[in-house]
Amino acid sequence: MNRVRPLIVSVAMAALALALPAPAAMAHGVDLTAGTVEGVEVTAVFDGGGGPMAGAQVTVFAPDDPARPWMTGTTDEEGRFFFVPDAALPGTWDVQVRQAGHGGIVRVEVTAEGAEVAADAAGLPVTQKALMALAVAWGALGTALYFRRRAA
Amino acid sequence: MRQHRLVRTMALLIAGVLVLAGLAGCATDGSGADPAPAASVVETGTLSFVADGEEHAREGTTSKEGWEITFEHAYVTLTGITAYQTDPPYDVDADAWDIDPLHSVTLPDEFTVDLAAPASDPASVGEVGDAVAGHYNALAWDLVRASSGPAEGLSMLFVGTAERDGERVDFTLRFDREVTYLGGEYIGDVRKGILEAGSEAEMEMTFHFDHFFGRDDKDADDPMNIDALGFDPLAALATDGVLDVSMSDLEELLPAEEYAKLEAILVHFGHVGEGHCIARPLD
Repeated sequence: MNRVRPLIVSVAMAALALALPAPAAMAHGVDLTAGTVEGVEVTAVFDGGGGPMAGAQVTVFAPDDPARPWMTGTTDEEGRFFFVPDAALPGTWDVQVRQAGHGGIVRVEVTAEGAEVAADAAGLPVTQKALMALAVAWGALGTALYFRRRAA
Repeated sequence: MRQHRLVRTMALLIAGVLVLAGLAGCATDGSGADPAPAASVVETGTLSFVADGEEHAREGTTSKEGWEITFEHAYVTLTGITAYQTDPPYDVDADAWDIDPLHSVTLPDEFTVDLAAPASDPASVGEVGDAVAGHYNALAWDLVRASSGPAEGLSMLFVGTAERDGERVDFTLRFDREVTYLGGEYIGDVRKGILEAGSEAEMEMTFHFDHFFGRDDKDADDPMNIDALGFDPLAALATDGVLDVSMSDLEELLPAEEYAKLEAILVHFGHVGEGHCIARPLD
């Protein structure tokens, strides 16, 4: 039975940057600010080399109210979804990804020092957990930097 | 004699001191009894259990070959239904049957439910009114042959109709495979299993009929359709538009490759929403 299982998860140091020049016309001027943020990136793939779970539904649950979604969205063409957890809500953040009758859930531990993916990533086959572990180490560093910057 | 009186006097003095000390001790709390340890209050709520064949069972489904299938009945018989609170959460992908729960709730007895009815909701199985509050994030159950009722002797009984291009097959599929399931947290539109004190929460056993018949809205080479039996192999066994077969009939009549698919499907039929379970035959 070919199971469809999602989720290679990385807590990734992702950056969003805008660097647009201010318009010359001043009648309706805009003030654009460029910056970077770091947070959690979830990458969902089908098991067995089935490719990315593009357009999958994503629901994020914060630790203060685990019964209700904190954020919802969809993965991109590469099966990726990015969000920035609220540092004021330390604890276990659960991220559920599902598509076409299949899905899984991963857990991200957020502390004052940063974040890391919990060992129990339901929905992940053992072979993918090895990949996930590498991503966690890198991502946790990135997220820790993010929280340190916020605290500064 | 004087020595004896002295000893008696000393004994009385010591006894008096002990009594006074005792009275002083009693006076510290004024109750005369050891303070009772604070009673631990266990907060509880109602945990209900449902079984769901999703819209495929309730409203009908279209097979990978285009058969429009509707069910008059889709009976499954369940027992040993147990919900668990686990921390860390039970990891279904560890493929481990051992589970070490903080709390568990078992629904006693055997239940035969019709996944085709009611049309609008999952079938209610039962509830436990004094379940310890918390997050029930794992669920186990057995699919067994019914000891009585409309599906007596069968673990699953599907009765319905398949139609395509003017052709119609009235089918009765009788399965006797017994399977045990263990799944993690429910995956679906809403989050289930979080029980607050004095409140209610729901656990769901989900059965994926699209794994059985495939889906016409997916490509033929989609993994789901490759693994699904579909309805063509069953239609080929019908006589005058009627098919009434048991598992042993299908073992005899289906090509070996199709029968192997069917056996795999029956074992992996149970889910927790869109989350998969580990499963093994009980036979």
